[in-house]
Amino acid sequence: MLGAALAVAVVVVVALPFLREPTPDSDALHELDAAERERLEAEEARDRALAALKELEADHRAGRISDEDYRAVVGVLRRDAAEALRELDRVRAMPRGGTRTESAKSA
Amino acid sequence: MPNAAGVGHPPSARRLVSRLSVMARSSSPARLVVALSVAAVLAVFLLYTSLAGGGTPSVSPSELAAKTGEVSLAGRVVGTPTGDAHGAGLKFVLEDIKGANKQRVTVVYKGSVPDLFRVGRDVVVTGTQRADGTFVTKPGSMITKCPSKYQAAKT
Amino acid sequence: MAELGRAALVITLGLSAYALVAGAAAAALGRRRLALSARNALIASFFSTLVAAAVLVAGFLRDDFSLAYVAGHSSRALPFAYKLSAFWGGQEGSLLLWLLVLTGYSALAVWFARKRARDLVVWVTPVLGGIAVGFSWLLVGVSSPFDTIPAPADGNGLNPSLQNPYMVAHPVLLYLGYVGLAVPFAFAMGALLSGRMDERWIVATRRWTIVAWTALGVGQLLGAHWAYQEVGWGGYYAWDPVENAALMPWLAATAYLHSVMIQEKRGMLRVWNVTLVSLAFCLSLFGTFLTRSGVVSSIHSFTQSAIGPWFLAFIVVAVVFSVTMIWLRLPQLRTTARLESLVSREATFLYNNLLLVALCLTILWGTAWPIVSEAVRGEAVVVGRPYYDFFLRIFGLPLLLLMGIGPLVAWRRASLRGLARVFAWPAAVAAATGVALIAFGAGSSIPGLIAYTFSAFVLATIALEFSRGTAARRALTGESVPTAFSRLVGRNRRRYGGYVVHASVVLLAIGVAGSSAYDSVVEGKLARGESLAVGGYTLTYRNLTEKDAANATEIRAVLDVRRGGDSLGTIKAGKNAYSVEQQVSNEVGIRSDKLTGEDLFVIAEQVNDDGTVFFRIFVKPLVNLIWLAGLVFVLGSVITLWPDAREERRLATRYATVGERRERTATT
Repeated sequence: MLGAALAVAVVVVVALPFLREPTPDSDALHELDAAERERLEAEEARDRALAALKELEADHRAGRISDEDYRAVVGVLRRDAAEALRELDRVRAMPRGGTRTESAKSA
Repeated sequence: MPNAAGVGHPPSARRLVSRLSVMARSSSPARLVVALSVAAVLAVFLLYTSLAGGGTPSVSPSELAAKTGEVSLAGRVVGTPTGDAHGAGLKFVLEDIKGANKQRVTVVYKGSVPDLFRVGRDVVVTGTQRADGTFVTKPGSMITKCPSKYQAAKT
Repeated sequence: MAELGRAALVITLGLSAYALVAGAAAAALGRRRLALSARNALIASFFSTLVAAAVLVAGFLRDDFSLAYVAGHSSRALPFAYKLSAFWGGQEGSLLLWLLVLTGYSALAVWFARKRARDLVVWVTPVLGGIAVGFSWLLVGVSSPFDTIPAPADGNGLNPSLQNPYMVAHPVLLYLGYVGLAVPFAFAMGALLSGRMDERWIVATRRWTIVAWTALGVGQLLGAHWAYQEVGWGGYYAWDPVENAALMPWLAATAYLHSVMIQEKRGMLRVWNVTLVSLAFCLSLFGTFLTRSGVVSSIHSFTQSAIGPWFLAFIVVAVVFSVTMIWLRLPQLRTTARLESLVSREATFLYNNLLLVALCLTILWGTAWPIVSEAVRGEAVVVGRPYYDFFLRIFGLPLLLLMGIGPLVAWRRASLRGLARVFAWPAAVAAATGVALIAFGAGSSIPGLIAYTFSAFVLATIALEFSRGTAARRALTGESVPTAFSRLVGRNRRRYGGYVVHASVVLLAIGVAGSSAYDSVVEGKLARGESLAVGGYTLTYRNLTEKDAANATEIRAVLDVRRGGDSLGTIKAGKNAYSVEQQVSNEVGIRSDKLTGEDLFVIAEQVNDDGTVFFRIFVKPLVNLIWLAGLVFVLGSVITLWPDAREERRLATRYATVGERRERTATT
């Protein structure tokens, strides 16, 4: 008896999305198109580059990295960050739904 | 610890690292490091197992006759144990756990006896068989198998 | 009631199968409502499993011995807490617990990720559903907890060795750990299936992984403590296959936790990470298989059971599936980021990973070799302690050292001169400690001495990090020391929480080294009035007591303890004879020294009829550091897990477009 009640309950729960929207405007799953995916990856690359710079500064301030080591690496990181920001701007400026050929992107 | 640089006078750490760094810039150092490490681990592993052996063979009483040297004997305790494990030695008989052709062997054991030891339980002892047929164990090498905490014995 | 339990499990099986099939179809065809339906099925499967679990708990609490499982693991006299813990005292109940935790985690995982990783969740649902199908099938078709028998008057009772608080908590924590690894695995597979190789799967599962890893670690420490106190042979880890079964996924998960940080910072090692998380999950399945199927004889050995082949098939499916998916997505996983220098933080993490995986695989080999050997050569072998000890030292000691080196090396590349400067002081501390220890006699064990010296090095680097960080903060903000310290940790929870966890591992290493490399033991038969001396203590056997407790007869030998002329009171050791279960258990006497952390450990091996007792007495230095390490470990994990409002806001903005923005009506 209780088992039957449980079975009915779960069937309702499972059917809920269909019961709530018997005739939806769109049943398409929102998937990221190529442009959105690129933007996401570009944002992640930017966050990574900026975080690396921030960590270098913090390490240098705390004395973990010497001045000369800092000087050796900071140029590279700043360049990476600038590149990531440029890439992000470019992707943002692109029209929606546009595709582009794959080419070497910043890591 | 094995010296990865090999024999001969080791170069200074600086030169070694810079040499490897040159290698690193041209190819993928990560792959090189991984390959070297895997090789090192395998070498250590093979060295160890060839020297120390891959393990003691695990046998039942019926298989005992065929083996020489130290073995791990697994069997079921039958009969009544006599003697004192902390004295002259605990004497008991082990029988094959499975199989149609069950044989028995007398075991003399010294050392700690696990609480679960009793007649009818399966135990494992490590030792060697003497010329007269008794199995003499390494002290303290007895392990008993827990009566199934998780599953009733399916006989 | 049994019918309700069986029905609930069948419903779970149906829901999981639906989540698998409909979820996969929805993801492949891009059907939104079907995807939501599959997700609902996964969430509902938790509730139906909960009903089944509730039925079983009710069976235990009502002494319903018509349930074969209850009759087999409980009795009328069993105390309340153990009637509850008897739930997981046997195979069927343990599987049900596994399924309960799995469905619970699955429901939470897909619910929490719905806003930020919707397109990922559609693929995660069928993977989690698939795992649930495996376990619910076992419970429905192969090994059901709801088999009924004609009810006997009383049950068989619970194995006495399980009747203590440790055995109540240990299996639950282990399962929270084992099953917890399924979530990052499912997200990794989801990412591979969907082709979404961005960081979201890692971000979404970071906390899950840490929680699972912490639970698995603490569960193992509890198990070790149980073995130490209850089984009482004088040790806490026997390299038993069932113990290794939990250690292997933990090592893989540790490696994964570290290498994931590299992917976060540099975008590298993506293939390695998905491989590691799959390895960790497959090892946790393998671990469950080892513990349940009786395939490897061990102290915990269980008779060969019917679920063995199913489990093996399950593991094969998981391995084949992961390998296939990784292979298919290999092109998308590769990145251009390269390891720039062998002296960099990335490289150190790589070495750490290699050592952890090497240790994990050697343990796997040692555990599986008996099975393989029997299958291939027809001859079973037993791998002994020396094998494991050797590899633990070879891989573990360098790992210990790396824990101190890694956090201080810069990313990308570090100069040797810079490193020499940074490590000068900790290295000096370590060297001084080493020399002092040799003077105190620690040279008797070289691995022990090395472990101590490396531990000193790591602790020095951690102390240095905290002090340097606080000083840098104060230079910037002028705060007081306590404020600067707490703000420092608060702003960098992952880093400093990680340091606390490292400190706990160091404590563990010191405790293990002390109690195994520098312990002393003495044994002998004593008559009343006779003494034994060990490690500075003198123990004199006074008398034997016998007492009848609730379900056992307790026999204790009482000894006086003296050290250097001072009396330290008495210590009792003996045995308990359990009436219902017809078993005898060892009850050791332990005296922990609060100051030095050492234990005086007394085993009454044999109580003879003439009143003489054969004793085995250990002195174990520093062993209590191991248990302290567990507490510090939890503290460190809590710090790293603590939510960071700024980080959350940043991630929310980043992932805003990936959430459910096409909501017109509430479709949850």
